[in-house]
Amino acid sequence: MASLLVLGASKIALGDMLFILISFILLSLAVKHYAWGPVTKMMDARSEKISGDLDYADQERARADKLGKEREEALKNSRAEAIEIVNKAKDNGDSQKKTIVADAHSEAETVRTKAKQDAEKAKQDAMQDAQNDIANLSLEIASRVISKELNADDQKSLVDSYIKELTVNNETK
Amino acid sequence: MDDKYKFIEFLGLKFNVANDLSALVSAILVFILVFSLSRKITMRPGKAQNVLEWMIDFTDSIVKSAFPDGSGSRFSLYAFVLFLFIFVSNQLGLIFQIKVDGFTYIKSPTTNPLITMSLALISLMLAHYYSVKKFGFGTYLSNYARPVSFLLPINLLEEFTNFLTLSLRLYGNIFAGEVLLALIGTVAKSFGLVSFVVAIPVEMIWQGFSVFIGAIQAYVFTTLSMVYISRKMERE
Repeated sequence: MASLLVLGASKIALGDMLFILISFILLSLAVKHYAWGPVTKMMDARSEKISGDLDYADQERARADKLGKEREEALKNSRAEAIEIVNKAKDNGDSQKKTIVADAHSEAETVRTKAKQDAEKAKQDAMQDAQNDIANLSLEIASRVISKELNADDQKSLVDSYIKELTVNNETK
Repeated sequence: MDDKYKFIEFLGLKFNVANDLSALVSAILVFILVFSLSRKITMRPGKAQNVLEWMIDFTDSIVKSAFPDGSGSRFSLYAFVLFLFIFVSNQLGLIFQIKVDGFTYIKSPTTNPLITMSLALISLMLAHYYSVKKFGFGTYLSNYARPVSFLLPINLLEEFTNFLTLSLRLYGNIFAGEVLLALIGTVAKSFGLVSFVVAIPVEMIWQGFSVFIGAIQAYVFTTLSMVYISRKMERE
């Protein structure tokens, strides 16, 4: 091998260099066409896909977070709304109860006053009747007294008879 | 070693049949390897595609370590092919050594300094080409006088030492490995059966070590090529 280097350029196989160069270039082209190109393209596509998928996942997660927050908000709102509705119903019921009770009170009051008035009127009627009766009675008594000249005994028996009559009258009445 | 080679004259150039045939076989093996690994390219990689992508990632990491700013992606294919070609070339002679009538036909192509020099030349030519392309010819020349002008001769000398160390390191490692393999083979034949039995494990151990060295040297060659290219593309 040393002789090959020493013996000089005339015997050096310079064609080998050319051969290596050409075969290396051809090998590079063949490798690029059959293996390197498709594989690196696929590797790029894969890395692109992975980053795209990651981006997509991030987006989806953000969306899901937002959606969840909205749901929570809505749930909270609906709970508050329900409480409000219940409260309103309670208030309504209370006020209704109050009005009903007040109505009942006032009605009872009117009924009572009416009853009182009726009773008053009945009493007055009765008094009037009694007065009339007494007036009639005294008139009758007076007429009887006038029609008869009476002595004391007679008077006594007369009074007795009238009292008797009165009681009888009262009983028959 | 005192191997004999067949030479062919063609178009006024001399061709060493053993070198060219071995290089061709290596290139074809590399092509068959990547071709068979890249038959079903899918989004979800199969076994073969995973192996291929692992190799691509490996050489890509070499390129990335030399070009930290990510501008080296155009050299990824070169690094990939260079690594695989040198790796297969280094291993070829460990598996096949074909001699017919005393003439060697198949060996590791990297056991010849011309082959490794050709590969180093390709790398350095790329380095200079991209340096000129990036800076323009004037700045490219003035880069030799950077960072200070009295370093000019050292920088010029460095170009040649880079070339020689890059090529001869590979050549020396692989050539020495194959010389030792051949020596152990000679020992095996020297004392009949006894030496044969002794030599076989030694040969196996050295072959394993040579596989290791071949892989390391392919890695080193690719890494240094990328480093030289990246250094030519930045101003000191």
